[in-house]
Amino acid sequence: MLAYGRHLLKRLGQFVLVVFIGVNITYIVTHATPINPVEQTIAAVTNFGNTSPDAIEDMRRSLKALYGLEGNIWEQYVGFWGRVLVGDFGPSLSAFPTPVSTLIGRALPWTIGLLLVATVMAWLLGNLLGGLAGYFPRSRTFRVVGVIAMALHPIPYYIVAFVLLIIFGFLWPILPIAGGSGMNIRQAFTAEFVLSTLKHSILPALSLVLASAGGWFIGMRALVSNVVTEDYVTYAELAGVPKRRILGFYVMRNALAPQLTGLAMSLGAIFNGAIITEQVFGYPGVGTLLVEAVHKGDYSLVLGVTTVSIIAVAAAVFIIDLLAPLIDPRVRAVDTAEAHA
Amino acid sequence: MTLTRRSALLSPLALTALAHLPAAAQEVIAGLPRRETIILENPEGTIRNSGWFNIWALNAGGQSTGLQQLTLDTLWYIDPDRGIDGQAWDNSLAAAPPEYNADFTEMRVRLRDGIFWSDGVEFTSADVVHTVQTQIAHRTLRWHAILALNVEQVTAPDARTVVFRLRRPNSRFHAQFTVRWGAIWIMPKHVFERQADPARFDFNPPISLSAYVLRNFDPNGKWYIWEKRQDWRRTSLARFGEPGPRYAVYVDPGPPDRRVISQLNHELDVIHDTSPEGVFTLARQSQTARGWFRGLPYAHPDPTLPSVIFNHQNALFQNRDVRWALALLIDIRAVSMASYRGAATISAIAIPPTGTHPSDYHSALEPWVADFELDTGRQKIKPYEANVGRAIADSLRPSMRDQIPTDPEQIARSFGLGWWRMNQQAAAELLERAGFRRVNNQWQTADGRPFSVRLMVEGEARPIMTRAGTMIVQNWRQFGIDARVDVAQGTFFDRRGAGDFDTLIGWSVETYGGHPDLSYFLDSWHSAYVAQPGQVQPLRNWGRWRAPELDALIERMRTVGFNDPRTVEVGKDFAKLMVREMPIIPLMAYNVFTMMDEHFWTGFPNAENPYTNPVTNWGNSRYMFTRLRPRA
Repeated sequence: MLAYGRHLLKRLGQFVLVVFIGVNITYIVTHATPINPVEQTIAAVTNFGNTSPDAIEDMRRSLKALYGLEGNIWEQYVGFWGRVLVGDFGPSLSAFPTPVSTLIGRALPWTIGLLLVATVMAWLLGNLLGGLAGYFPRSRTFRVVGVIAMALHPIPYYIVAFVLLIIFGFLWPILPIAGGSGMNIRQAFTAEFVLSTLKHSILPALSLVLASAGGWFIGMRALVSNVVTEDYVTYAELAGVPKRRILGFYVMRNALAPQLTGLAMSLGAIFNGAIITEQVFGYPGVGTLLVEAVHKGDYSLVLGVTTVSIIAVAAAVFIIDLLAPLIDPRVRAVDTAEAHA
Repeated sequence: MTLTRRSALLSPLALTALAHLPAAAQEVIAGLPRRETIILENPEGTIRNSGWFNIWALNAGGQSTGLQQLTLDTLWYIDPDRGIDGQAWDNSLAAAPPEYNADFTEMRVRLRDGIFWSDGVEFTSADVVHTVQTQIAHRTLRWHAILALNVEQVTAPDARTVVFRLRRPNSRFHAQFTVRWGAIWIMPKHVFERQADPARFDFNPPISLSAYVLRNFDPNGKWYIWEKRQDWRRTSLARFGEPGPRYAVYVDPGPPDRRVISQLNHELDVIHDTSPEGVFTLARQSQTARGWFRGLPYAHPDPTLPSVIFNHQNALFQNRDVRWALALLIDIRAVSMASYRGAATISAIAIPPTGTHPSDYHSALEPWVADFELDTGRQKIKPYEANVGRAIADSLRPSMRDQIPTDPEQIARSFGLGWWRMNQQAAAELLERAGFRRVNNQWQTADGRPFSVRLMVEGEARPIMTRAGTMIVQNWRQFGIDARVDVAQGTFFDRRGAGDFDTLIGWSVETYGGHPDLSYFLDSWHSAYVAQPGQVQPLRNWGRWRAPELDALIERMRTVGFNDPRTVEVGKDFAKLMVREMPIIPLMAYNVFTMMDEHFWTGFPNAENPYTNPVTNWGNSRYMFTRLRPRA
């Protein structure tokens, strides 16, 4: 138990360090951007207008004051950490004065809803079929599935997405091609909204599943192909253990450990959003929010989205690290040995 | 093989599937009858601060969500095309054009009767006065600076009269209240006077002064639904009849390919802009979609002039011979094909070839341009080549057949007149006179360094201009100049303002289109506004060109009234100066591929009936609504 406590503290320290370093790097990178949010705003409000040149400098001063960009970079840095520690990223500079947390809060449920379902579905489908294909290597059905997975896997994601868009949005227009839900539907937990959301999520989710299930399939098939050659599997077969039990408890379970780690990493990465998916299908998620923020030099928003993402990925790794000794005795043994060394 | 819906439907799979599905399975807008609803693209995309309707704040949110097209109003409008009822100028909230005193230090405005806000309060001069005074009093409001600099006092002698006393003579002050794209909109006094800080007020829901009110909007900022006011007769738009659509929906339809698919599915009635390839697809596959022109170039030419802009604070481009040499190296046919796939409206002079300008300037000046002589030091040449637009049209005719007009006048309107003949010999002579030398087929500057020119383009945000820039760089490289494309992406605006470029593709010339006056951009070109190197240049003289002759011309323009016939003379003198000096290389009109689907609605403006601008983010596109009628 003491060893596990040490393990927990060590991993917690790593988690805090990763988050601290990651957020600092993001802060430096975003503030080094050559895109100035004040100039972006001026360009936006004057591009089509008839503003006299002598009014521009006055406008520039007002915007700097409004956006709180008047202090030096150190004052801004200290202020930033002061706000982050209480979960406040300040106002977005490109959607002023809307708080960054509001924008993230608005986009995140869409991203999580779509990517969580798609990631888990792709993982389940890929691993299940991959496991079966590895265990039944001579099955014609699974060989066909393998060929399909091998064919789909290398296709760039955006090609898959566009093909789906053209098939189901144009040639056979049965599914919505844009948005997270239908227009003029109140966003509330009503049957109309839920159904509309589900319908709108089919194409983006399908594209994600098709694009990523192949990877899980190939990985799991390779893992299972190795596991089935282990002595304990051969022994179980000789002992007459039912095939279903061997597949579920002896083969798949042992092959799953690295796939579980991969799943956890993928779930953590959900918070990055799926930029291409959101762009292609006009889905209202975090990925597009981040890209727009970068283009507009909105470093408050970039920092907010990135910080949430860093914390999510680091937390996923942290949780895996905590669970690993409980799932895999070999990890526990290594930690115990380190403690005694 | 071309992928068409028809060919795909012939497949047994599709036929079987269609037999089991409703014809139009896609949901459009819940609860709104499609035949009473028009759907338009909002080119701003997704509006992040979706619930922010306070357009008077410096940090204004979405403007082209329908807000400035359907709910706001101001004193005057000026149309970039012929104008509704043939008048480009419209007295909107004002009952008459502005009245200035003799020295342009006072502007008097008479207002219309019988105009009401959507909450039932009558619009009066107090609203105009409050708009001005509130802006002047708050630095964080959008038009604070321009009004504080110009207005000494604004008063309302009665409910229908407003008097502006100006700090300095300004014959164009009314332009601030004249919608070209947008303008200073009038705010409701009875709403804003209750706000302690008007810059922090979201104005949600907005009170409307025009014919529509907000019905609903997406918290994620992807769509806005507006509904026709029951009392639309009590708005300034009522003079032109009842607006056709009961509902207007402005949406973020996504990237160009998805916009095309949506219009083919009749789910997007007006596309703001798309790619030339998208337009060709619509022209080929849709029975009901059309552009401004029935055939090529399809697009609506905005009164904006994409050009090669030189950085005049770079010593390389301070010599007119160098600028002219670079102009003579450009093959405008290739640029037209590379950028717009031939659908460009070219211009040899620095005025956009659109609205009234082709007759006021392009045709009127063509004899002068044709006679213009350029001395290269070894010979005198007449660089103008007439009929380049016609030659482009002729080259496209074999592949595009009836999409290409045959009437010479229509060809001139669609493709432009002439341009500068590509002349490498003359370019070499000009460069040599500037002290440049060709060594091993590569040009060197007078001090023996390679003649390097970076041409800054926006990149994927503006692909057509990026393609134009790439072709121009290719022209220059073929001549032995070390030319490179400089893709700025998101840093374009910052670098343009900071003067961090050699040359760029952009526009520093924008006009009213429907009126020959050039003050809209020209006033800002005065040398008094040119920033020092390292300082940020205010719009629009991005090239930082200064010339005493230009200043004299601008100062002359300031003393001439807006509607004075002498404005055309000022414009012609400007065009001639620009030809002689070539401080920018004019290329073409900014052609916007606005596509209108007549499946549900008819009556859109177009080249045959150019009563207004259909480009969806322009404020004066509001006039279009009064002419739209449901398709029978």
